[in-house]
Amino acid sequence: MPSWPTNTKYISQSTPRVDAAAKVTGRARYSSDIQADGWLYGMILRSKWPAAKISGINLDKALQVPGIKAAITVRDGERTVRFCGEELAAVAGTTKQACLDALRAIEVKAQPLPFVVREDDAKKDNAPKVWEGAANASPGKSREQGTVDQAFAECAAVIEGFYTTPVQIHNPMEPHGNTVSWADDGLTAWSSTQGISSVRDGLAGALKLEHSQVRVITDFMGGGFGAKFGAGVEGVLAARLSRKAKAPVRLMLTRFDQALAVGNRPSSFQKIKIGALADGTLHAFEMNNYGTAGIGAGGDSGGGGGGADIPAPYIYKVPNTRVKQTHVAVNAGSARAFRAPGNPPASYGMESAMDDLAVKLGMDPLELRLKNDPNEIRQREYKTGAEKFGWKQKYQKPGSSPGIVKTGIGCAGAAWPAGGASKNTQGEAQINPDGSIEFRLGVQDLGTGTKTVIAVVAAEMLGLKPEQITVKVGDTNFPPGPGSGGSMTCASISPTVFDICTKALQQLQTQTGIADARGENWFAACKKLGVNPLVVHGQWLQGLSSDHACGVQFAEVTVDTETGLVTVKKVVAVHDCGLIVDKLTTESQVNGGIIMGLGYALYEERVMDDLSGVVLNPNFETYKLPGLADVPEIEIVLINMPERGVIGIGEPATVATAGAIANAVANAIGVRVSSLPITPAKVLAALGKVPPSTASKS
Amino acid sequence: MKAFEYATALSTDSARQLVADHGAYLAGGNDLLGLLKEYLVSANTLVNIKSLPGLNQIEPGSKNWTIGALVTVAQIENSAEIKKVFPGLHEAASEVASQQIRNVATVGGNLSQHSRCWYFRHRDTICLKKGGDLCYARNGENRYHSLFAGNDCISPVVSNLATAFTALDATAVVLRDGKETRMSMAELYQKAWKETAAHNSLNPGDLILKIEIPTARSRSAYLQASDKHAFDWALVSCAAAAEVADGKLKSPRVALGCISPVPHQVQAANDFLDGKTLDDATVSKAADMILAGATPMEHNGYKVPLAHALIRRTLLKLKG
Repeated sequence: MPSWPTNTKYISQSTPRVDAAAKVTGRARYSSDIQADGWLYGMILRSKWPAAKISGINLDKALQVPGIKAAITVRDGERTVRFCGEELAAVAGTTKQACLDALRAIEVKAQPLPFVVREDDAKKDNAPKVWEGAANASPGKSREQGTVDQAFAECAAVIEGFYTTPVQIHNPMEPHGNTVSWADDGLTAWSSTQGISSVRDGLAGALKLEHSQVRVITDFMGGGFGAKFGAGVEGVLAARLSRKAKAPVRLMLTRFDQALAVGNRPSSFQKIKIGALADGTLHAFEMNNYGTAGIGAGGDSGGGGGGADIPAPYIYKVPNTRVKQTHVAVNAGSARAFRAPGNPPASYGMESAMDDLAVKLGMDPLELRLKNDPNEIRQREYKTGAEKFGWKQKYQKPGSSPGIVKTGIGCAGAAWPAGGASKNTQGEAQINPDGSIEFRLGVQDLGTGTKTVIAVVAAEMLGLKPEQITVKVGDTNFPPGPGSGGSMTCASISPTVFDICTKALQQLQTQTGIADARGENWFAACKKLGVNPLVVHGQWLQGLSSDHACGVQFAEVTVDTETGLVTVKKVVAVHDCGLIVDKLTTESQVNGGIIMGLGYALYEERVMDDLSGVVLNPNFETYKLPGLADVPEIEIVLINMPERGVIGIGEPATVATAGAIANAVANAIGVRVSSLPITPAKVLAALGKVPPSTASKS
Repeated sequence: MKAFEYATALSTDSARQLVADHGAYLAGGNDLLGLLKEYLVSANTLVNIKSLPGLNQIEPGSKNWTIGALVTVAQIENSAEIKKVFPGLHEAASEVASQQIRNVATVGGNLSQHSRCWYFRHRDTICLKKGGDLCYARNGENRYHSLFAGNDCISPVVSNLATAFTALDATAVVLRDGKETRMSMAELYQKAWKETAAHNSLNPGDLILKIEIPTARSRSAYLQASDKHAFDWALVSCAAAAEVADGKLKSPRVALGCISPVPHQVQAANDFLDGKTLDDATVSKAADMILAGATPMEHNGYKVPLAHALIRRTLLKLKG
């Protein structure tokens, strides 16, 4: 069995990202920076109707707009659109304005249809059907263990709550999109993607090309959180426009587009009943949950959209459990995987219920968790975190903080049961006689530090410095790497680089006779290669990675009980991810996870209008994201566990934040805001300060 | 956006001529460019007024200070004199958007900016304000909308500076039909109270030249509450100004933003506060008076307690 080196120089230390200078100086070229010869702008016309029969789309006038080189419909013939923002047509032209003018010149014959955008409305029997022939709400899945009803009767304390989370929109700093260049021998796509291989296969399939005719390149990427795996409608349209216009097409989405059609985190409406015995042992749990994935997966789940389920009772084990979950289709953009799918809403609901139960039991909520959390690592993390955070000194009974601006604390736990590694990961290194070395892996760096991880592992293994390692990723011409999802990238590539390095050293020994080519012997050994570089292939190895990262987070907030404003003062995050490869980029992942979780807790929410069916906040003015002034002091404690091998951290880092903040708010004001985001309006409502509406409607 | 001509005016007269019937004045452009890009307004000519002489000055005076319409919000924020003489105005300017926006946003533009209602701003909804036949917000998502309205549109005025200027009893000097017209802040917005399409009282071609602020009130304060801690619109904003002698208020004025199409002020409350000492009971009574008659919609009732708190806090800040 291979094993990671101990007494390391770079692994588990802090190495700044290898492409930091390129990024901050603007030298890094993202997909939208590619200026292929004669390139055109591409843009998409979207449905302004939440539901409509489209009987015709006339592109003639669009094609007459000066500068327009191509215009296409997404699909020929009659069709039904099911959400505001669904793609209808696309144009390519020499300027942005030409494209905008062309989009306005396209004539669409549409017959609007009834629609529904609210989960509660969609569940009603007489609601307009999102999908013909299927109920909006799926029949639901149920599971039960133990004797739930009897168990509730045996409990010393039982609480019921209705915890809701909104649809969260994917808004990476770099929007979705591609620059696509079509040539006779195939096409090249510079894609903002989490999976260059899946984009290649998607484009090849849609355009009836062989895989070998499609090359996908992702040199640099500005973030992806689960919604950037396939070519997407926009990618296929860019390729078709390029073919038609015989010119490269850059089609990057706008923030408006992002709000509508690139996926989102489903909502959840969790009715939870939970009970414990007098000593705090969880005894009975019941949850009814529904949520929407928008138009979701359509009729294939027996009605409704797909994929709005959440794990319950999340990280806890309750002997008597009944869970029922339903998906509800609405006329809105569909869900896609979103950083730790299912987990942040599950954590928020369950951890809120735990704190409400602790209040009923008269227990310290941390004690209730230590009593019931079955995971030994989290037990350790809670204890470590509580010490750092000063939980014992800070804890006050809910609502007992004096004054108008009240202080509160809360905590919550995280799990990431998926993860692990992609066993098919491969890579190669070219070692040149001058000692320079280039690693090539068909993986992509979303901005998480993938290139840096490769450099760190290689430097450690070869006795070199990270800056001596050249790293190339993001090209389908390289040996295939994993899609970057499920927090699997680091655990896939680290063992692969390990294998490449091990084989390189063996090969160097064989070819040069130098027993140990590492470190100070490196250049002498490479020189002995003669004229031809050495190219070494490697692949993922068993035994150097694992899965199941955990984490706990503690939050301290102040709540102004007159303005409702929540200010997060501090977050202490204790996380494990096995062997930490690069401490600095790991901490960055945790920072980013917490900030994203903060947005989920306090600001982010897709607002649908039920009269017009539009997304009302398709911009950063009203789709609110945390800014620097909103971000608290963050203290990160990483538990390094080399014996477990490498585990990803991207997803678990964002799971617990919203639950911890929500619990801190409840602890501060003594009442629960049971709906995310926790806005001033909701805080004031929870405090009973909001008068009823007296205005007449229209 | 639609194609337009571009011209730079070097005098107010030529600016007025160039803008003619279908042009628009361009200063900071923060609001105008967004409106043009979303096809919410159209202008055949953009008249750059940044070179108009004399309008980018803050001029102190014994009875009145004059702030040119081209003074940037950042200039106000960075002015130590303003901070001393009109602290409420300084605070209002500091809360406007982000540093980058404040650097280019002008006083005139801040005052004349259009509605931020998300139905008005959405390209796919034709609301009352855009000539449609329905205020979507009334029946829909009205969390950011008005508690007071004089017509069917419930989009509120959101200019921070208007709130502060109202409390300071400032006057806008507007070039209208070749003449300088003086308008109180109430007058500058009153048309929005009556007419659904209006967001202020300016006619096409009217140009705000400057703002005059009386020095009669040496104490002033401004507070706003938002969803976020920075770079966010106010949910409610509040300004108060007064002279304070022997602990007693003289000529006090309180104004609120974001709860009405016009800066909200209640004369009876100003009268009530006159001569009073600032204490919890007094400011609370004043807040009751200012908010009497508020008609919360389905989602904006929270603005009532929020405004109440801001009125109390802002008034108490006048104690110094």
